[in-house]
Amino acid sequence: METFRNDILLHTEGITKSYYIGTPNELEILHGINLDVKKGEFVSIVGQSGSGKSTLMNILGILDRPTSGNYFLDGIDIGKAKNKELATLRNKHIGFVFQTYNLIARTSALKNVEMPMLYAGMSAGERRDKAMSLLEMVGMEERMKHTPDELSGGQKQRVAIARAMANDPDIILADEPTGALDSGTGRLVMDIFHRLHEEQNKTIVLITHSNELAGETPRIVTISDGNIIKEVINKEGVA
Amino acid sequence: MLLENCKLALSSIKANKMRSFLTMLGIIIGVAAVIAIMTVGNSMTKSVVQQLQSYGAKNIYVGISPMDWNAELSEADDEAMKFQPETIHKLVEKFPDQIEAVSVDSGAGSGEVRIDNSTAKVNINGVSAGYFVSNQIKLESGNYFTDYAYEKGTNTAIVSTKFAEKIFGAAYDASDVCGKEVEVNINDEYTTFTVVGIYKQKENEMSFGGYSGDQSTNMYIPLKTAWNMNHDDTIYSMEVVVKEGVDAVSFATEMQDYLTTLKASSLGEKFMVDCYSNQSMITESTNSMKSMTMAISLIAAIALIVGGIGVMNIMTVSITERTREIGTRKALGAQDSMIMLQFISEAIIICLIGGIIGIVVGLVIGHFGANAMGYEAQISISSIYISVLFSMAIGVFFGYSPAKHAAKMNPIDALRYE
Ligand SMILES: Nc1ncnc2c1ncn2[C@@H]1O[C@H](COP(=O)(O)OP(=O)(O)OP(=O)(O)O)[C@@H](O)[C@H]1O
Ligand SMILES: [Mg+2]
Repeated sequence: METFRNDILLHTEGITKSYYIGTPNELEILHGINLDVKKGEFVSIVGQSGSGKSTLMNILGILDRPTSGNYFLDGIDIGKAKNKELATLRNKHIGFVFQTYNLIARTSALKNVEMPMLYAGMSAGERRDKAMSLLEMVGMEERMKHTPDELSGGQKQRVAIARAMANDPDIILADEPTGALDSGTGRLVMDIFHRLHEEQNKTIVLITHSNELAGETPRIVTISDGNIIKEVINKEGVA
Repeated sequence: MLLENCKLALSSIKANKMRSFLTMLGIIIGVAAVIAIMTVGNSMTKSVVQQLQSYGAKNIYVGISPMDWNAELSEADDEAMKFQPETIHKLVEKFPDQIEAVSVDSGAGSGEVRIDNSTAKVNINGVSAGYFVSNQIKLESGNYFTDYAYEKGTNTAIVSTKFAEKIFGAAYDASDVCGKEVEVNINDEYTTFTVVGIYKQKENEMSFGGYSGDQSTNMYIPLKTAWNMNHDDTIYSMEVVVKEGVDAVSFATEMQDYLTTLKASSLGEKFMVDCYSNQSMITESTNSMKSMTMAISLIAAIALIVGGIGVMNIMTVSITERTREIGTRKALGAQDSMIMLQFISEAIIICLIGGIIGIVVGLVIGHFGANAMGYEAQISISSIYISVLFSMAIGVFFGYSPAKHAAKMNPIDALRYE
């Protein structure tokens, strides 16, 4: 057992993930991932399609459990936590940004941003104020009352980022947040991540297919066939 | 949190108006059927009770009947089925605090009164003083029979307001009519009576459609007079009116016991005294009508269960459609219990709205139904409470399993669902 350095936020030890468990054509997608992410780091994960990036991200976001190995989030052993505690951890410590936005349909941008705070038990007035200031931060204050079907892709993603920030999470996990956007809009979204990192010192893990965007981050992790094959500390990245 | 869930549920119901309405329809029909039947049943019961009460809830019928109705009766047996006037005296003396009046009557045939060009048909009924109490007959003018009239059997009569109108004209002078002599033709035998009083004709003594011109009304004469006319003074039955505050049902039993002992020798093994209170008849018919209403309502409630299954079906569809939404909510930190609450509230609200619409529809149908059947509509408040609670219970019951399914979804599987 190693001792934790208290500036390490994410810590995985030999994480594997298999599908079709117990059947002859069992498929191991991740083959023992060891990854540490420090507080305040901005890490990008790159790799070919099907290499297991999203699978790893879902485990880091405790939406999924690893088949074997250990995962510690801020020192908490996720393998030992109950479903109820996992929900609380997702609510308080993690902010998700998905490639397909995943905003709740027929629900205004404001209500979408309020949702994590609702689940955290925050009062209606407090929720509203916080949601409004978050939407302002991503430049969406004009569109608060709009439902997702009335927003463009880039607008939806900005609402989604505001929602990810709702409970002041320690870490933001973004799985190809610019994947469905044109480069201009992608730039806008990427700038928001840089601002969150620099101004609020947020820890961010970003999956991207764009070498250009990965090149802007201080640390780049490359995954291939379920293994981390390369880690680069990027002096060019905005530290 | 609860309020948020209700808002959420309402917005999802609004988003699928047609589907939500069709789902509600099952609940609406079920609740409306139950409420309509309960309303009609309730109105019928109330009306029957009122009718029975107008015959005097405090009256007890007293008679003697054979143990075996099929047995052949001899002349001597007929004696055993009669009451003697002394028996009645003893009864009244035994229970002075309970008995208000005893009513005995004896029909003396029907006849016709003709004065100048006016005629009126009458049923002649010899009555004891208690008859007016037990039948709640109130005088419009004049007096009841005197003790002397009862004792001697004088030819005096109390006639109806309708009778007076027909014989003496619509604008008759009541004080003038009392004291007038009328000649009654009974099978071509003429008997003269002096009118001493005029009673108010009760509505329910007339047939449906109101009083028609040549209908008979009752003409009362002292019991003794009728006995003399009939050459028969048999008392087969009587009605006892109990005093205010006396429980008619239990007093009927007490009286039955007393009379059975009193007449033990003549009753023998073959006969028994029957004391039957109107109150117990009211209770019995109320109970039987209530259970009939309940039985039909239960059948109608099957429609509610079918409606509930519809709700379950829609909830299952709705949850499958919203799998990704559920995944997202879980990713945002929703506890299983919150997802569960969200979908249960949706089911409850669908059922509640359906239930309320059903109540309104049911009340309207029940109201018109009762009126069409000739009863005054009586809304059963308890059926409304029960319906509201029951439809909410259906929401919980049929919403539970789909909601549980939603709550138990694995977040990543839900998010990946296509
Ligand atoms: N539920 C599942 N059952 C079986 N196999 C799965 C499942 N989920 C993912 N896989 C497999 O795991 C592998 C890795 O998938 P993953 O989504 O992690 O790739 P990725 O690196 O995110 O790719 P992309 O860049 O295209 O998003 C793929 O080969 C995929 O087929
Ligand atoms: Mg992926």
